[in-house]
Amino acid sequence: MKRLNIDRQQLKSFIFSLCAIPSVSGFEKRAHNDICALVGKDFDEIRKDGVGNLTLIKRCGKENAPRILIDTHLDEIGLLVREVCEGGFLRVLPLGGIDVSIMQASDVIIYGKQTLRGVICSTPPHLKKDDELPEPFEVIIDTGLSEKQAKELIEVGTPVGFAPVYSELLNDKIMGKSFDDKACAACAIWAVANTPREAICGDVYVQLSAVEETNAIGGAASAVFAADPDYAMVIDVNLARVPDTKSFETVNMDEGVSISMCAATHRRLTLDTAELCKQKELDHVLVAAPDSTGTNATSINLVGLGVPVVDVGLPLASMHTYNEVISLKDAETLTSLVAEFICDKEIAAKYKREEELI
Amino acid sequence: MNSFELIKRLCNTFGPTGCEDAVAELIKREISDDCQNVSTDRMGNLIATMRFGDLNAVKRKKIMVCAHMDEVGFMINEIKSNGYLGIATVGGISDSVLAGRRVSVLSKKGLINGVIASKAIHHKPRKDRKKTTPIDKLYIDIGARDGDQAKEYVGVGDFATFESEFYAFGDGYVKGKALDDRMGCAAMIEMMHRLHAQPAENDVDVYFCFTVREEIGLSGAHAVAFRIRPDLAIVLETTAVADIADTPAAKRVADTGSGAVISVMDKSTMYDRTLVNKAIETANNNGIKAQLKRYVSGGNDAGPIHKTAEGIKTLAISVPTRYLHSPACVAKLDDYETVSMLCEQLIREFKEEI
Repeated sequence: MKRLNIDRQQLKSFIFSLCAIPSVSGFEKRAHNDICALVGKDFDEIRKDGVGNLTLIKRCGKENAPRILIDTHLDEIGLLVREVCEGGFLRVLPLGGIDVSIMQASDVIIYGKQTLRGVICSTPPHLKKDDELPEPFEVIIDTGLSEKQAKELIEVGTPVGFAPVYSELLNDKIMGKSFDDKACAACAIWAVANTPREAICGDVYVQLSAVEETNAIGGAASAVFAADPDYAMVIDVNLARVPDTKSFETVNMDEGVSISMCAATHRRLTLDTAELCKQKELDHVLVAAPDSTGTNATSINLVGLGVPVVDVGLPLASMHTYNEVISLKDAETLTSLVAEFICDKEIAAKYKREEELI
Repeated sequence: MNSFELIKRLCNTFGPTGCEDAVAELIKREISDDCQNVSTDRMGNLIATMRFGDLNAVKRKKIMVCAHMDEVGFMINEIKSNGYLGIATVGGISDSVLAGRRVSVLSKKGLINGVIASKAIHHKPRKDRKKTTPIDKLYIDIGARDGDQAKEYVGVGDFATFESEFYAFGDGYVKGKALDDRMGCAAMIEMMHRLHAQPAENDVDVYFCFTVREEIGLSGAHAVAFRIRPDLAIVLETTAVADIADTPAAKRVADTGSGAVISVMDKSTMYDRTLVNKAIETANNNGIKAQLKRYVSGGNDAGPIHKTAEGIKTLAISVPTRYLHSPACVAKLDDYETVSMLCEQLIREFKEEI
């Protein structure tokens, strides 16, 4: 018996709505109001902190209940204006690991005094040097404005994001920008919002963390410190298997979520989560991430007295492009796993901390 | 329909070289009120004829105006066992604008979505991150679970094009795919509307030709020119401009915002100077913004047309356009308008041999 009845089309629309809210790394605070408007009514308390983290809290109503943290990251890769130059063009810097090979002639949105459309310039063929790409700092954006107009509307330090366009491929795969990591946030929010309060084993903190893409250890820790959770699940996207990649460094799409076996996360909680997947017949695969998950899991693990954390991944192709691809089937599995995780009495009993934070 | 809407509909229509039918259908509907005499030749070129002045005049002149309907695109050349599609370009597309793009694939079940993908940056060795991903390392992902499912939809030889949002931005600019040369088609359609509302007074037969297969150089326009053998041919096109920051003045081809670009020389044609002068003069006399192309680059249907039969005097007027042959071509609507107006004026004033 499935705990959650997930309508695939509704989940898809929700993923699209959340992922389309702009949240360029370092500018997450600008997204807070839109997200609260979209999902705020389903939660008991909303916390915003100085780093840009957003935490949605749903309480279980029980005495002495554990605090369960579900972490995803709110920020997305983007660009930052560093100069408004001749002809109204913008010189930019990358925010996060953007593949320069996908940038030329792509659509962007400039979040200046007004929200403006732009196009990343493509080098004209008679000026191209073989197959060399411009350095990221050489990339320029066409605003279609004169220098004077551009300077009035766009300041140095203005964030720029890729344009949100969402569409469907075969087999319920979907394509668009910022599935990394707001698709995971959408699954987590959906699961918590739709699970009845009575069924939840603890107070659930769904965290949308800031600056994961641009800060070496992310911005999650300060919100985790405030939440002081008993145990946590970190959900981020994982590289899907595509041609010319190795099987051990990728996961197959449509085969469920990945669970990271990592020296820097909590081994017992990880195995218990895998066991939970088995019991509830949720497709999953264990992956080896020897010393780092490449996600927030490793930093969250070290907050306060230490937080037992399991790292879960949603397979995603074309990561860090504006046309990332995920499978709705996998998204459904992830949503179900979050619901099972927050309702699992054994895990709650086992990982409820006895000690108080000093 | 205003210019923006017309260009948008034309650009968003699927029409790679060799597969122009949908564009031709759209154009036929658009011009049906202006002109009853519309035919399609054996190559797929669409020819609409409008006759002006005294139909019994002895010395009637023939003008051919043309714009090509095709856009650069892709052909599927392999269905891989893992369900991905191998691609080759149809027309000149730089590898640097391929990776990550949305495409439409004309499948057996209609248009379906896809994305040109490769492995993620995380899996690319550092040295490869500074290089364009070559087309043989790219593939289209349509979401198929394996080769067998992909084959239910697509076969080798099927076509695909960029899929790109058409929108207005900045100070009167538009962005979309296939501005080359749907803007030329739109300029012709709007000119036909105006000539229908207010007919020309000179004794001319004007053949409006929407041609096929310009982008691969094996131009359909050649057959049309041979059929019509006009006294004057005017090619309406787009031309790459390179008027962007960090480009030295010597490498700039023309400027957006400075009006219709009149070609003097490109890789396909040395243009007739008296005709070029006539175009400049006409633009000046009528207050139409125009500029000369300042760089020898590109080529267009004027190449095959001007050498057809005994030779045909040919003029090329282009909309200055940024990022040609990419999913995001950018042009200014004011410039587009000058191309349409200048060509119309040349038609209205054409009497004797220039």
